[in-house]
Amino acid sequence: MSRDALNPSPASRHLSPPSVEGIARVVRVSGDQVWLEPEQTTSCGHCASSASCAAGARAAAGIGTVTSRLQARRFVLDNPQGSSGFHEGERVVVGVSERSLFSAALTAYGLPLVFALAAGSVTQAVYGADLTTMLGMAGGLFLGLLAARLKARRLAARGELSPRFLRRASPDETCGTLEERS
Amino acid sequence: MKEFALMMIGAALVNNVILARFLGLCSFMGVTTRVDTAAGMGLATTFVITVSSMADWAVQTYLLNAYGLGFLRTVTFILVIASAVQFTEMTIKKVSPSLFQMLGIYLPLITTNCAVLGVALLLVEGRMGFLASTMFAFASSVGYSLVMIIFAGLRERLVLANVPRLFAGPPIAFIVAGMLAMAFMGFSGIATS
Repeated sequence: MSRDALNPSPASRHLSPPSVEGIARVVRVSGDQVWLEPEQTTSCGHCASSASCAAGARAAAGIGTVTSRLQARRFVLDNPQGSSGFHEGERVVVGVSERSLFSAALTAYGLPLVFALAAGSVTQAVYGADLTTMLGMAGGLFLGLLAARLKARRLAARGELSPRFLRRASPDETCGTLEERS
Repeated sequence: MKEFALMMIGAALVNNVILARFLGLCSFMGVTTRVDTAAGMGLATTFVITVSSMADWAVQTYLLNAYGLGFLRTVTFILVIASAVQFTEMTIKKVSPSLFQMLGIYLPLITTNCAVLGVALLLVEGRMGFLASTMFAFASSVGYSLVMIIFAGLRERLVLANVPRLFAGPPIAFIVAGMLAMAFMGFSGIATS
């Protein structure tokens, strides 16, 4: 796989559907699989204190730290345009389509909420007591999470939840510059 | 039924969490550069606010009120909200690791979103039943998401506009936010009581 093939031209980028992009670092390459770890993004954009507030947490590894969160969010790409061209420590730009992100959010958060509120309303109408409504709503939430699980499986089977390799990141490219570009 | 509908419209539009109560302003300015990320954040916040309000109501009714521990309300609610966020994160991870990979980034940010605590404290003032308080929290968070998405759409258009250099970036965003708040003031004409 040539270097040019892994770095699509700016013109070809515009032909692809709109996607949410992020930068990830290659942490392992094994055969046709590449393990990636997303780079930490700042919550409030680029405030002056972001370096000081995240630096300590980033350096430390343990429960609840930024490092452990990033490790938990590691993902694997199967043969992204010839994985032989990748090496550990390399930064790449990955993306998911805007539509996928929205349908994923609706599945994960919207579906359980709809089930919970519907179950709570029905229970309140039937029994009229707060305690039973609470139990009904908790049951609805549980059912909604099961429904979300089924829907997520369907989305994953269609490949809509997997990030795609877009290009190699240039040295000065950060999540901030990606947002400005988009 | 009519009271419920009016209460929900009031919570979502008339007394909007962001534009009328000025809560959640950090995420309002920080996560509204794109419509899709604003929608993702809005949905995640809606889920957390609704779930934590359910837990807050139970804690307030069966623990704080029952044992006269009202003075511990704020601390307790912060603990409940942090637990709700952690619960949501664990659940999403269990339900679908792929969804967690895609959406997990929003969740830690919600713990520090003052809109979640603000809505929980408003519920106590309202002295409502369980379903009413949950619906109020849901409507408030829908209002929050609505404003986030509208503002993100406006900011996406602003990028394409020819803004004078002096106003480019956050200044024009603040001006647009002010105009949006004034537009939402129009909803105060709706009689909700």
